[in-house]
Amino acid sequence: MLKSINQKISIVLIVVAVGYLLLAFQLPSFPYSPVDADVLPKGLGVLLILLAIGLYFSKDTETEAEKEQRRIPKKDIAALLVVFVFVFLYIFCLEWLGFVLSTAIFIFFCSLYLGYKKHMTNALVAILFPLFMYVTFTELLKISLPQGILPF
Amino acid sequence: MKKIAGIFLFVIFIVLASACSDDTSSSDKDSNKEWKPEKPIEIVAPAGAGGGWDTTARMAAKVFNEAGIIEEDIGVVNKAGGGGAVGWAYIAGQKESAYNLFVSSPPIILVPLNGQSEYGHEDFTPLANMIADYGAFAVREDAKWDNLNDLFEDMKKDPESITVVGTSSPGSMDHIQFVKIAKAAGVDVKKIKYVTDPDGVGLTQLLNGSVEVFSTGVSETVEQVKAGKIKVLGITAEERLEGETLSDFPTAKEQGIDTTFVNWRGFFGPADMDSAAVKYYEEKFKELSDSKEFADVRKKYGWNEMYMNSSDYKQFLDEQKEDIKSLLDELGLGK
Amino acid sequence: MGSIEGVLTGFQVAFSMEGILFVLIGVFVGTFIGMLPGLGPISAIAVMIPITFGMDPTLALVMMAGVYYGAIFGGSTSSILLNAPGVSGTVATAFDGYPMAQQGKAGKALAIAAISSFVGGTVSVILLMLLAPALSSVAIAFGPPAYFALMFMGLTAITSLSEGSTVKALISAVIGFMVATIGIDAQTGTQRFTFGNANLLEGIDFLVIALGLFALAEVCTLIINRKDLSIDNAHKLGSLRITKNELKEMRGPMTRQSFLGFLLGVLPGAGATIASFIGYITEKKISKKPEEFGKGSVKGLAAPETANNAATSGAFVPLLSLGIPGSGTTAVMLGAFLVLGVQPGPLLMTDHPEIFWGIIASMYIGNVFLLVLNLPLIPYISKILKIPRPLLISLVIMFSVIGVYAINFNTFDLYLLLLFGVIGFLMRIFRFPAPPFILAFILGGMMEQAFRQSLTISNGSLAIFIQEPIALSLLIVGFLSFMFPLVRLLRNRKKERV
Repeated sequence: MLKSINQKISIVLIVVAVGYLLLAFQLPSFPYSPVDADVLPKGLGVLLILLAIGLYFSKDTETEAEKEQRRIPKKDIAALLVVFVFVFLYIFCLEWLGFVLSTAIFIFFCSLYLGYKKHMTNALVAILFPLFMYVTFTELLKISLPQGILPF
Repeated sequence: MKKIAGIFLFVIFIVLASACSDDTSSSDKDSNKEWKPEKPIEIVAPAGAGGGWDTTARMAAKVFNEAGIIEEDIGVVNKAGGGGAVGWAYIAGQKESAYNLFVSSPPIILVPLNGQSEYGHEDFTPLANMIADYGAFAVREDAKWDNLNDLFEDMKKDPESITVVGTSSPGSMDHIQFVKIAKAAGVDVKKIKYVTDPDGVGLTQLLNGSVEVFSTGVSETVEQVKAGKIKVLGITAEERLEGETLSDFPTAKEQGIDTTFVNWRGFFGPADMDSAAVKYYEEKFKELSDSKEFADVRKKYGWNEMYMNSSDYKQFLDEQKEDIKSLLDELGLGK
Repeated sequence: MGSIEGVLTGFQVAFSMEGILFVLIGVFVGTFIGMLPGLGPISAIAVMIPITFGMDPTLALVMMAGVYYGAIFGGSTSSILLNAPGVSGTVATAFDGYPMAQQGKAGKALAIAAISSFVGGTVSVILLMLLAPALSSVAIAFGPPAYFALMFMGLTAITSLSEGSTVKALISAVIGFMVATIGIDAQTGTQRFTFGNANLLEGIDFLVIALGLFALAEVCTLIINRKDLSIDNAHKLGSLRITKNELKEMRGPMTRQSFLGFLLGVLPGAGATIASFIGYITEKKISKKPEEFGKGSVKGLAAPETANNAATSGAFVPLLSLGIPGSGTTAVMLGAFLVLGVQPGPLLMTDHPEIFWGIIASMYIGNVFLLVLNLPLIPYISKILKIPRPLLISLVIMFSVIGVYAINFNTFDLYLLLLFGVIGFLMRIFRFPAPPFILAFILGGMMEQAFRQSLTISNGSLAIFIQEPIALSLLIVGFLSFMFPLVRLLRNRKKERV
């Protein structure tokens, strides 16, 4: 029975460690090094398993306050997921739409979604801030950011 | 809330759709016609800012524009990662484009041979080689060896006592240039002890006695030689180089070791570039190489002139690849 | 030419009208670029190189040096205000700087950072001036075994970097170490855990992890608490006032870390990042109130800020007197020298005393400028925190995205950033500390390389680590500092039983 949260985490960690070890054992060998590339990863994998076992049997249980902290309201989890999707789309569109456009859209809608009510300020920041960054990077510093579909 | 997210998605969708429909690139495939660029040209440096590739690309772009050799704007874009592999993959996706060039050097042969990139020089159109640099093998001033043959004799007798340090990992430039020369001198290349110092402190390790030999580029050694801290046993060039101190460095060749290693650097385009465009760039790079402005740049950075046109370049690269492949196979590192 | 004469020439250069002007331009540009997301000293210097063409070499280099330490100076701002370190040298700054800013003391935090940076910068310049020629032998004293020992010593501090469960801290560290093994192994050229993906060949960039684990994880917390629209004591946000007591508290860390940071900066390969971490750790270890660290401790902020600026001056020792670049940043700096036709190295001091000493002397002025430029700006900059939460969240995300994008210009890294953001958030909820992760990530990779270099050189014999005095002593210190908490723990347990 997995009672405490630590025990659940330790199982996840052991799975991670085993996966890592499986990959480590497939590393090709190199003939000219006394300590080959696979030695450290193997050691780390084993160490993680040992520590995870330690965590499994560790006695320190969570205090009530800590448990409370971990409990996130469903609504907030939903908010996190939506922002996550926003960021994902932002990254996804960055090189297609270009830096200025995708950033402007992202800032505006992300702030709006999170409850920012002053739409004019929001729109202004969303347009001016990326423009400022873009001009600073590309014109002043000659570091090119994705231009995208805008003509400049 | 849902509504807002929906609007957001909708806007993204609309813009994406318009972005895609806009993407009708017309490629002109008439090789008899003269070709001239009609929009800005992009040169990719497949590495971060400040390195050799980046500097070469930026300098070329600068002189092209400032000396009026090419009128269209030339922008340098950094696509770093994977020792170049990320940048190469990017260019490989720009097939036939005459506006996406990139700068490269021996890693485009070495990295694919080490199994770290699916694209090699064959997957691109060599346009022109511009400059060359050479490798140098340095030891401490008080070391007992005075020439490469002494060193290699000792390496044959007692390979365990000599460690070579370089900045790049086994199978890449610093390692291969040493192995290539050592092999020609008859050293068993499988017994060479090589360590990598990726933080660029190989010279420190030489000076403090942790290692015996430093395999590096010629220009990195000059100052220390002048200061009397190290001596250069041999360089990998065909002939002695020109310049103060540089001309004192003996080549491996004059010590009876009949081989060389060139750290060339030149420009490439994507596969299947229009032959009129290739011709255009070939000429422009020649003009660049002959210009006074670029000569100044070369001098500033200590680069040697080494121009090759597209077909010579391609042949040169094919030969280099053969050479290095056999070396890697012997080491058991070939993939 | 005697060195007194040389020093005087240097001051003449630095205190001339042009000298002062170029230092000013340099530090101004440096701070500005340093504050921008993702742009640290490397990019700052790289973008300035073309501008120096045709300039007088001495003045150009005085300016470039200003750009360099100015960028380090400016980098701490985003660490403190947004928990989003822009460069690796300022990660440790976030440990206490960010909590302090969240308590409504942003102005104070920035002021402490500015003052510590100033002190670290100035003291180390004095050291640089007095010791540069003599220290060049120290710069090369560390061979691979000694580097291994140094990294080992740093790693033993992992448990002290966290509160709560030691097991969890160690697990964090092991995972950080595992992430460091991704990429091409430098000693063998073997690809480790890259899944054939070219984007992973060079490993995962430090910034991806720092911004993910710190900035994005913090964004998640902010999203959950987005309803509390303001932070405490918002009206005092921009206040710079530092009390006498606080100044007294800063004095110890500032003095010690100026020296320690400088020494670590002198070692090629160690640099500002390691100096700031070791600075933080040592201050925590010797502090009477280690429990305050991580919650907005004055000492915890002053230590890494002093150390990273001191290390920056330290890095000039191998660069100027040996021509050896000890880090990516100084390598680009070396490039800047070469472009101007100046070759740093053992001969620089005798051939071009005006350059050698000019740069060093200009650093005094540069540090004063930085302080004078930055202090008046603090009240305005700290107002960033007054931006309403929803907008601030979007801006921090954007900041992190440009920061990571500017490393490789590649969206792959951005997806990784998002992944590490999620990992960072999960670590927070389940109370796994992030600092050990990042420390093991930075030190682990270097430690492994140094270990294997040593063994290749010694043909596999471990004796190499005890034959070298520096390595041996560092290993002993590391071992003791690891054992000390354990012993204390055991003794406490015994007491409890009794």
